[in-house]
Amino acid sequence: MNDMRMTERARLMQDIKISARDVNVYYGATRAINDVSIDIRDKTVTAFIGPSGCGKSTFLRCFNRMNDTIESARVTGTIELDGRDIHAPDLDPVQLRARVGMVFQKPNPFPKSIYDNVAYGPKIHGLAASKADLDDIVERALRRAALWDESKDRLTASGTSLSGGQQQRLCIARAIATEPEVLLMDEPASALDPIATAQIEELIDELKENYCVVIVTHSMQQAARVSQRTAFFHLGDLVEYGDTGQIFTNPKNERTESYITGRIG
Amino acid sequence: MTLFAFVLLFTATVLAYLLNLRAARALRAGGARLHSLGGFHGGFAALVTLLPALVFLLAWLLLKEPAITVLLLRTLPEAEIAGLGTGERQLIISEIRTIAGGRIFGSPAEWKIEAADRLLAMRRTADYLMIALTALLAGGSMVIARRRVTPDFRARQGTEGILHGLMAFCATVAIFVTLGIVASLLFETIRFFQMVPVTDFLFGTNWEPQIPIREDQIAAEGAFGWIPVFLGTLVITVVALFIAVPVGLMSAVYLHEFASRRFRAAAKPVLEILAGVPTVVYGFFAILVVAPALRALGDMLAIPIAPNTALAAGGVMGIMLIPFISSFADDALGAVPRSLRDGALALGATPAETMTRVLFPAAIPGIVGGVLLAVSRAIGETMIVVMAAGLMAKMTLNPLDSVTTVTVQIVTLLIGDTAFDNPKTLAAFALGMMLFIVTLLINILALRIVRRYREIYD
Amino acid sequence: MSDTPHTAPRGRIDWADPALSERLRLRKRRQFWLKALGLGAVGVAALMLFVLIASLVVTGYQAFRQTHATIEVNIDPFQVDPANIRGGNFDDIIETAILAYFPDVEAPGEQREIVRILSDGAEFQLRDRVLDNPELIGERVSITVPLSDPYDLLNKGLIDRTTPEENRRLKDDQIARFDTLAEAGIISQPLNTALITNADSRFPELAGLKGALVGSFYALATCFLLAFPVGIGAAIYLEEFAPKNRLSDLIEININNLAAVPSVVFGLLALAVFIGWFGLPRSAPFVGGMTLALMTLPTIIIATRAALKAVPGSIREAALGVGASRQQVVFQHVLPLAMPGILTGTIIGLAQALGETAPLLLIGMNAFITSAPETPFDSATALPTQIFIWADSPERGFVSRTSAAILVLLTFLVTMNALAIFLRSRFERRW
Repeated sequence: MNDMRMTERARLMQDIKISARDVNVYYGATRAINDVSIDIRDKTVTAFIGPSGCGKSTFLRCFNRMNDTIESARVTGTIELDGRDIHAPDLDPVQLRARVGMVFQKPNPFPKSIYDNVAYGPKIHGLAASKADLDDIVERALRRAALWDESKDRLTASGTSLSGGQQQRLCIARAIATEPEVLLMDEPASALDPIATAQIEELIDELKENYCVVIVTHSMQQAARVSQRTAFFHLGDLVEYGDTGQIFTNPKNERTESYITGRIG
Repeated sequence: MTLFAFVLLFTATVLAYLLNLRAARALRAGGARLHSLGGFHGGFAALVTLLPALVFLLAWLLLKEPAITVLLLRTLPEAEIAGLGTGERQLIISEIRTIAGGRIFGSPAEWKIEAADRLLAMRRTADYLMIALTALLAGGSMVIARRRVTPDFRARQGTEGILHGLMAFCATVAIFVTLGIVASLLFETIRFFQMVPVTDFLFGTNWEPQIPIREDQIAAEGAFGWIPVFLGTLVITVVALFIAVPVGLMSAVYLHEFASRRFRAAAKPVLEILAGVPTVVYGFFAILVVAPALRALGDMLAIPIAPNTALAAGGVMGIMLIPFISSFADDALGAVPRSLRDGALALGATPAETMTRVLFPAAIPGIVGGVLLAVSRAIGETMIVVMAAGLMAKMTLNPLDSVTTVTVQIVTLLIGDTAFDNPKTLAAFALGMMLFIVTLLINILALRIVRRYREIYD
Repeated sequence: MSDTPHTAPRGRIDWADPALSERLRLRKRRQFWLKALGLGAVGVAALMLFVLIASLVVTGYQAFRQTHATIEVNIDPFQVDPANIRGGNFDDIIETAILAYFPDVEAPGEQREIVRILSDGAEFQLRDRVLDNPELIGERVSITVPLSDPYDLLNKGLIDRTTPEENRRLKDDQIARFDTLAEAGIISQPLNTALITNADSRFPELAGLKGALVGSFYALATCFLLAFPVGIGAAIYLEEFAPKNRLSDLIEININNLAAVPSVVFGLLALAVFIGWFGLPRSAPFVGGMTLALMTLPTIIIATRAALKAVPGSIREAALGVGASRQQVVFQHVLPLAMPGILTGTIIGLAQALGETAPLLLIGMNAFITSAPETPFDSATALPTQIFIWADSPERGFVSRTSAAILVLLTFLVTMNALAIFLRSRFERRW
C-alpha cells in the first residue's frame, strides 16, 4: 500500500513520461522479462544496467514496440506513454516510433547521403512543408547531434563514409529529426573508441534538456557519468531502481551490490 | 571382355592389399618396428596396382575403336576407296560395322563382308591384347609394391601422397571440362569458318541452313547469318523476363517481409517445385496449354498470333524463371543487415516503406546479379524453345510472331545428322560457341556483382 | 532564418493534426497495396504450378488405363507348328476370333476394318503366350488384348460421339462396330501395365516406358559412379588441402562458371569429344551418363564443400591433437560427419540430371528404339527424351501418354527430393 502511494506521489511531483506495469516478454516459450514495473521521468537520463543477457535491451525495445518486428516475441502487461497505453488499438506503432526514437548499438546509417539519412524520418512522416523547411530540420538535427560542423560541406556524401563515432551521431541526428519525445539508446557507445564515446556522452547530457532519454549500457562508469536515474536488471528481473548516486554508493539490494562491486557480471 | 578386364583388375587390387598387409604383419610378428601401420602398406600396394592399369584400361577403351578404324581403312582395297571424301569413307566404315554386328541389309559387296570379318578379328585381337596387358601391368605393379614392404618404408606418406595427387587431379577435372568445351567448340567453329566467312556469320541477317545435296553444293545454297537467330533469342528472353522479374521480385518481397512464418512454410515448396520441374515438362506445358490458350485469346481479340508465337515459349520460360529470380532476390534481401531494417522501423517507417526505401535499394546489386544469371539461363534454355518456338529465323521484334533461337537451331541442326564435314552441322558448333561466349560473359559479370555485393556487408 | 538558434528543437509535433492522420492513412493504404501485389505474385506462381500439374493429370490419368478386349481364340495346330511357333499364323487366329462377333459381315474391306479395332500388338501377345506355354496349341483360350488407339480414345470418351461425322476420327459405322463388341461384354479397361513393361512403339496403345526407364537408370548410374567420387575428391582437395594460390582461385571460378554453362553446350562437347573424337557409340546411356556427370560435377562439388565447411574446426583440431595425419582427420572424422550433407547435395544433383534433356538429344538418345537396352552401351532413350519424342508424335493417343510419362518422371523427382529432405532433416547436426 505504502509503495503504491509512493509512486502516486512520484507521478504528481515528477513528470512521469513512461510508465510500465507488469511487463513480461517471451521469446517463443522462454521468458526474457519477468513482471517488470517502472516509471521513467521526463527530461532525465535513465540508465538500464546489468550483465549481458539480463534483458535490459529487450525491455528497452518494448517502449517503441520494436519487439513487434520479431516474429517469435510476445509482450504482455501495460506500457503507458504520457498516460496512454502504447498497445491501444488506435495508437499506430508507426506513429509511436516517430515519437519514441531509437539509437542502436552498432551505427546503422542507411547507404544514402548524410542529408537523406537525416531527412528520411521527416520525409516519410510528412513533417516538412517545403524543401527549405526540410533543410532547416536537417540542419537543426545535425547541429544538435554535434555533427553539423563536420558534415555541412559534404551533406551529399554517403552516410557510410563517416567514421564510427560520426556515424553514431548521424544516427542520433536521424532519430531526433522527427522531434521525438523519448530517445531510446541501446548501448550507443559500445562499438566506439573512447574519444567518440566521450563525444556521445556529452551529447546525451545535452539531449536531456529536451528529451526523456533511456540508455542501456553495460558500462557502470558510463551509467554513473551520464544518468540521473539507474535501473539494475538481472536475469529478466528489475532488481533495483533509484537515483544513480544512491544505486552506486548505497545499493539496497544484495544483487545490485554484488554487480556494482564486480562479483556478478 | 571389358567387364572381365575390370574384374581382373579389381581382384588384383584386393590381392595386392592383402598380400602387403600380411607381409607387414609378418614383419611385425618377427619383431620388427614398422614405420607405418599394416593397413597403409596394403593401401599403398592397392593404389600402386590399381592406378596405372586403370589408366591404361580406360585409355585403351577410348582409343580402341578409332585405332581399329584407321587400321581397317588401310586394309580396304585401294580401288574401292580411292578418291572418296571423308564422309563417304565414314559411310563405308559404318556399313562394315553394321555387317560385323550381324545385321545385313541387301547384298553388300564381297570386299565389305571380308572387311567385316577382318574387323571382328581385329576386335578379338584387341580384346586379348587388352586383357594380357592389363594383367601384365597389374601384376608388375603388384610385385614392385610387394618389394617395398620393409620396416623403414613410409607407407603412410606414400599412400597419402598418392591420394593427395588423386584428389588434386579430381579438382582439376573442372578445368579440363572447360578446356574440353572450349577446344571442341573452337575446333569445329574454325572448320565452319573455313567454309563460311566469319563476317557472313557475324553480320549476316539471313539464316537458311540448307542441307547440301552434293559435296560441291556446300555453302552455295545456305545462308548463315546468326543475327536473326540471336534476335529471336532476345525476343523470347525479354518476354520471359517480363513475367519472371515482376512476379519473382514481388513474391520475394512478400515472402521476405510480410508473410507469416506459416505462409512462408507453405509457399516456399511451391517455388521449389516450380524450380525442380524439368524443362522438357515446361516445353510440353507450352504446347499443350499455353500456346492453344494464346491462340484462342488472339482469335477472340482478333489479333493475329502465330502458332509458334514467342509469347508461348517466352511466357513459359518466365514461369520457369520465377523461382530462380525469387530465390536470388530473397538471398539479396536477407543479406541486408538487420540493423538497417531496425533503423528504418525505429524511425516510424511502415514495413512497406522499410522495404521500398531501405531494404530493396540496398539489395539491388544482388538482385541485378540474380536477374543477369536469369538472362543467361533464358538465353541458354533449350527444351522449352525447341518444343514451343519456331524454326524459321526472322528479323522481327514482334513477340506475337514466331521466332527461332540459338538453342533451337543447335538442336535442329544436329538431330539425326552427325557427319562433321558439312557447314550445316558445323554451324551448330559456331552457334554453340556464340552461346557459350555470351552466357559466360553474363555469368562472370553477374557472379562478380553478387560477390562484391556480399563483401560490402560481410 | 539564420538568426534563430539552430540548436533548439522545433517544438512538439501535434500527431493529432488531421493532415498527419490523413497522411498516415495513405501510407497504410500504400502498404496494403504492396502486400496485395506481393501476395498476388505468390498467387500467380502457385496458380501456374496448379495449372501445370492439373493439366498433366487431366490429360495423363487416362493413359494409366488401357481399353482391352477379351476374345476367345482357337489355337489351331494347322496354323501354328509346334516346331516353329514363331512362324505361326497368329494374325489369322486373332482375325477369326474377332470376326466371330460379326457373323453377318462378309465384305473383305469391312472385315479388315473390324480387325483394325484390335491393336497390331495382339498377334505378338498371343505368340509370346504360346511361346511360353506350347501346350496351348490345339486349345481354345481366352486372351485379353489392347484395342488400337482410336477405339481406346472412343472408350475413354476422348472422341466425342456428338461431333459431326466428318470432323470425327471414327465414323458412325466404326463406332457401331465398337458398340457391338461392347454389348458382347468383351471390352474392359484394366490398369495399363504396358506403360511400364513395354518399350517404345509406333502405336500408342503399345508404347511404354521400359526402354526409357532402363536407359535413364543406366545413365544415372554412370553419372553417379563418375561424378560422386570425382566430386568428393575435388571438394576435399579444394576445401581441406588446396594451397591458397591463383590456381585454386582459378579452379574455384571455373566450377562456379561451369555450373551456369547452358546444358546444350555440354551436349555439343559430348557430341564432338565422346562421339566424334573417341568414337563412342551414339544414343548409348553410358555416353549420356558421362555427359550428365560433367554437368552434375559442379553441383556435387559445391554441396560437398558446403557440408565440409559446416563441420566445426574443433573436430579437426581434436583429431590432429591426438596425432592423426591431415588425411586421417578428413577421412575418419570430417567426411563421415559431412556425409549426410554430401548425399543430400548428390541426390539433388542426380534429380536435376534425371530431368535433363537437351544434351541427351544431341548425343542421339532420342532414337526410336523398340526394345529396352541390355547394357549401358546399347542404344536407348531416357525418360525426358522419351517425353520429347512422344510430345512430338502426331497420334492423339500420345498426348495422354506424354502427360503420363511426365507424371512418372515427376514422381521419381519428388521421391528423390523427398529422400534428400529426409536425409537432411534426419541426419543434419547443428553445431
